[in-house]
Amino acid sequence: MSEKLLEVKNLKTSFRIKDDYYAAVDDVSLSVNKNEVLAIVGESGCGKSALAFSIMGLHNRAKIEGNIMFKNQDIANISPAKLNKLRGNNMGMIFQDPLTALNPLMEIGDQIGEALLLHNKDLSKEKRKDKVIQLLTKVGIPRPEHVYEQFPHELSGGMRQRVVIATAIANEPELLIADEPTTALDVTIQSQILDLIKELKDDMDAGIIMITHDLGVVAEMADRVAVMYAGQIVEVSDVYTLFESPLHPYTRSLFNSVPNTAEAQSKLHVIQGIVPSLQKLPREGCRFSARIPWVEESAHEEHPELHEVSPGHFVRCTCYKHFNFPDSSKEEQQHGIS
Amino acid sequence: MAFLEVEDLKVHFPIKGGIFGRTVDYVRAVDGVSLSLEKGKTYGLVGESGSGKTTTGRAIIGLNKITSGKVTFDGNDISNLKSRSEVRKDVQMIFQDPYSSLNPKKRVIDIVAEPLRNFEKLSKKEEKIRVQELLELVGLSPESILKYPHEFSGGQRQRIGIARAIALKPKLIIADEPVSALDVSVQAQVLNFMQDIQQELDLTYLFIGHDLGVIKHMCDKIGIMYKGRYVEEGTTEEIFNNPQHIYTKRLVAAIPDIDPKRRQEQTQFRQEVKTEYEQSYNDYFDDEGLAYKLQPVTDTHLVALPEKG
Repeated sequence: MSEKLLEVKNLKTSFRIKDDYYAAVDDVSLSVNKNEVLAIVGESGCGKSALAFSIMGLHNRAKIEGNIMFKNQDIANISPAKLNKLRGNNMGMIFQDPLTALNPLMEIGDQIGEALLLHNKDLSKEKRKDKVIQLLTKVGIPRPEHVYEQFPHELSGGMRQRVVIATAIANEPELLIADEPTTALDVTIQSQILDLIKELKDDMDAGIIMITHDLGVVAEMADRVAVMYAGQIVEVSDVYTLFESPLHPYTRSLFNSVPNTAEAQSKLHVIQGIVPSLQKLPREGCRFSARIPWVEESAHEEHPELHEVSPGHFVRCTCYKHFNFPDSSKEEQQHGIS
Repeated sequence: MAFLEVEDLKVHFPIKGGIFGRTVDYVRAVDGVSLSLEKGKTYGLVGESGSGKTTTGRAIIGLNKITSGKVTFDGNDISNLKSRSEVRKDVQMIFQDPYSSLNPKKRVIDIVAEPLRNFEKLSKKEEKIRVQELLELVGLSPESILKYPHEFSGGQRQRIGIARAIALKPKLIIADEPVSALDVSVQAQVLNFMQDIQQELDLTYLFIGHDLGVIKHMCDKIGIMYKGRYVEEGTTEEIFNNPQHIYTKRLVAAIPDIDPKRRQEQTQFRQEVKTEYEQSYNDYFDDEGLAYKLQPVTDTHLVALPEKG
C-alpha cells in the first residue's frame, strides 16, 4: 500500500460577498498518495483552482473549514510562517499561465534561484547557479547558461512553462499541484510537458494533483480522477473505471461533449444551461439537477451524498440511476418513425 | 474555379534596424500558401502558434497587407483594397477571444448592428428588428439587445461575435480559433451552432485552429502549416489516417488519446514518431528549417516531400 501524502477532509472554502459567505469549494474530501497522479476535472467556475489554492494556502480572505492533512500535519489553519516553510519546499505549484506566473523584471536564473534561496540560506551563490542550470537542463531547456540570463519575454510559451515547472520542482517537492499546466500550449509542446511531469513523478516519487479540463490529458496522465461540479466532487474513481463506465450525469455529459478523434460524430452533446454563479448556487439538493430538467425530481436526493458503487468508485446523488440522454432517445424515435 | 482561391500568398513583415530605421530583413509570416475552398465546405488551417495560420486568414479578409500572391473570391480578385470593397460584405470573421473582440463600452445592439450600419441603410426600427432576429438565430434572448458584453458568459459572447459576423449574410466566414477560449461544454454548443447555420445559410468556413480534435470534427479538408508554409494538405481522412510528412505525423501523434488503456501503446508510438522526426528532420526541411514544395500524392493529397536529386 502506498503512502498517503495529502488528505483533505470536508474542505469548505467560502468567500464573503457583501454580508454572506458563499462556498466555492464545498465539502471536498480527497487524498493523494506518493507516486500517484490525481486529476481534478471540471469546467471553469467549478472550484477546481479554488481547491488548489486552498491546499497551497494562497487565499487571502477566504474562510477555510475542514482539514488539510499534509504528511499527518494539519495545514488548513497554520501560521503563514510555518506554511511558508512547506510551500515551495515540500509542496510545489505549477501555475496555469506562465506569462503571469513569472516576474517580467527578473532574470530567469534569479527567479528559480529565489525559490532555492528561500529554503536554503546557506547555499552559496555559485552552488545556487549550478543548481539552477541543472534544473533548467532537467526540464529540457536548451542552452541553460544563456537562458539563465534571459527575461521571461524573451522565451516562448513552452519555454516559459518549463521555467515555471523548474521553479516548482526546485526543492524537490513531495507534492506537486499543477493547475492546467498545458492549457496555454500547442499539442506537441503539451505532450513534451506531460512527459516531463511523468518523469518527475517517477524520479522524485512525488504525488501530483493535476487540474485540467482536458479529458485527453486526464486519460494520459491520471491514476485516479475526481470530477468537480459547482464546488463539489460528483464522481471519483480510478481512471480506467471512469473512462469505461462514467456514472454521474455530469461526467457522462462531459464525455459526450468532446469531439472524439477516434470516431466521427455528427453532433456534439450540449449541456443545457450554464454553470451557476456562486451566489445562485442551490444550497440544497442535487446541484446538477437544473441542467438535466428531464430527469424527474424524485430521482435526486434531498441531501446528495457520495455513494460507493464499487470499491474506490464514488458517485454523488442517486440521479445517475435514472439518467439518460434525451437527444439520443429522441433520435432513435425519429429513426423508428422514418 | 473554386469559391475561394488563394495562390502563392505571401505576407512579409519588415524588420527595421540601424540608426535610420531601414528595413534590414523580413519576417516571412506567410511564405507561398495556396489553397482552394469549395462552396459550403469547411477548410481547416492547422498549425502551432507562430506558424502563420492566423496571418493567412487575416490576409484573406484584408486585415494584413498581402506582399504578393492572389486571392480570388467568387470570381473576383480581392488581393488589393480597391477590388475588395465589392465583396467586403460577403467575407466576415469570427475572432478567437470573445473577451477582447467585443467593445466593452458598447451595447449588444450597437455591436451587432455595426456591420448593418456600414452597408445597409436601415431605419432604427428595422435595425432593431434585424438585430433581434440575429440574436434569436444564435440562441440569445432578443431582450438582451440593451445589455453590455460583460453581462454574458464566454459562450454567449462568442455567439454575439457570430451574430455580428453573420449580420450581412456573408458567404465566407473566417473563424480564427473560435472555440479555443471556451470550456468543452460551451465549445460543443458553439461548434454545433456553427454547423447548423452553415446548412441554413449555405456558409463556407475557413476554420483556423490548433485543436486537432475540433478540426477533425468540423472540417472536410485540412492544410497543415509550419513556419509560414504548407507541409501537407488533404482531406480529413488522409491527414488523420495517412499522414505523410513527419511534421504531420508528429502533430497527429501528439493528440492525447481519450482511452487510458492505450496509454502504453500511445507512449511507444509517440516515441517512434519522435525518433523518426529527429532522424529525418534534415530530409524533410531545407537548411533554413523550411518545408519544400508540395507534391501531389493523390488528387487531393499534397505533401511537402523532399526534392529528389
